[in-house]
Amino acid sequence: MIEIASPFPRLSASSLPAMSGAQMAEVDRRAVDDFGIDLLQMMEQAGSHLAELVRVEVGGDLRGRRIIVAVGPGNNGGGGLAAARHLANRGASVRSVLARPVNRLSPAGRHQIATLLQMALECCVAIYDVPGEELDAELESADAVVDAVLGCRATGEPHEEVGWLVRRIAASSAPIVSLDLPSGIDSDNGNAAGVAVRATATLTLALPKAGLLSEAGRAHAGRLYLADIGLPAALYAGLGIPIDVPFALGRIVRLDPDP
Amino acid sequence: MTARAQRRSLAEKLGLLRELELFSGLSDADIEAIGHATTMTHCRPGQVILSPDDPSDRIHILKKGKVRVYRVTPEGKQLTLDIYEKGTILGDMRLLGQQAIPEAYAQTVDAAVICTITPDELRRLIERHPIIGVNIISHLSRRLQEAERDLEAMAYERVGQRLARKLADLAARFGVQTVRGTLIQARLTQQELAEMIGTTRETLAHTLSDFRSRGLVDTSHHQVVIRDAERLAEVAADEDGGE
Repeated sequence: MIEIASPFPRLSASSLPAMSGAQMAEVDRRAVDDFGIDLLQMMEQAGSHLAELVRVEVGGDLRGRRIIVAVGPGNNGGGGLAAARHLANRGASVRSVLARPVNRLSPAGRHQIATLLQMALECCVAIYDVPGEELDAELESADAVVDAVLGCRATGEPHEEVGWLVRRIAASSAPIVSLDLPSGIDSDNGNAAGVAVRATATLTLALPKAGLLSEAGRAHAGRLYLADIGLPAALYAGLGIPIDVPFALGRIVRLDPDP
Repeated sequence: MTARAQRRSLAEKLGLLRELELFSGLSDADIEAIGHATTMTHCRPGQVILSPDDPSDRIHILKKGKVRVYRVTPEGKQLTLDIYEKGTILGDMRLLGQQAIPEAYAQTVDAAVICTITPDELRRLIERHPIIGVNIISHLSRRLQEAERDLEAMAYERVGQRLARKLADLAARFGVQTVRGTLIQARLTQQELAEMIGTTRETLAHTLSDFRSRGLVDTSHHQVVIRDAERLAEVAADEDGGE
């Protein structure tokens, strides 16, 4: 792997607690229910940070860069769509490819895509709106592919349309930036039950997921980054998870694996 | 235009949220009866069976095969909204007081069989199967009542009362009994729920949290569980709304 000069501060992964998928689900629930930080607020930050990481991964300037955003039906996909908007706002040429039809997206995902349509950005549904060969060519020639197909709640082997899209991303040789964790790997142990994306870089959210720090997970995640989505320390304290201040030096930090 | 229609979100205006579930209140047998009484069309794969230019009063029942519903972007590209399987009723829902998807097309994915019903045929069907008419009337009157109640609520009631009424209404329609209480089986964001009762998300969050602390409801993962239906009904009825 080629190292690029990273503008992000570095932090040892072992200085932070590693979260399971179930713990992250509880974190999300408390953010919404107890702290009034709703999903769209968190998604906005995830999307904005993801666009920033893509900027760095493509060499520092998004203008004129072709980015394909692969979007799953859950909220990981919603974060990808928010990133698509930020990438386009910052000069990239963006095409969003949805794994499933629009009505099958989460409500927050539909909210995001409505905005992209209003912006007249390219959006299409895999299989139905774009032939496989065309998509393969797009994925191959893109300056970067954003993998926002599956997040930390997904378990087991990706199947049907979702599996179809993950397989095609996995086959691409373009740089791939995964949101939260590479699609197809388990958030708890890092194993791939079937096809899985091998990312150039992964932007995980709030706290690192246990699976990303395992040997199998590290092999898929590429350069690992952590992004701040605005969750307060009091939320973690309520769950008995003590954390230091991970984002004191910047809202995106590079996580160094343990030796 | 009603206040409710004006408040529709951007996503809804773009026709992304509309599910094609006309006749959702009808039994399978009624739908089967409708299917039998009408002319069937055998469609080849890729045939466009519905477009925005079609007469707005037809109903199509998908008897066999799959149909893709899509819209065309200003650049002329197609975007798939949904894929429907057999048994789905497609078409303009103005007949049942629902709104159609703007700019939506429907195209068969494979060799499909479709029954199309005109308003005249529907009238004849109702003569033959009065239950269909009865079902349509109750469906319409329910919608009308909902609309009236919503309007009234927006104008006069306080947020707590509006929320209690809306939750009771949702529980009656989508509720399933669980050990924790009645789970409203519909994923709703706070924004969506706030829009339903004409308030801001912040006010809704505050009111929900108040309901939670009073043991009326429980919330998790965008789902609401009614813990104490009796006291919730009291809040719904109470002029002061318990705020």
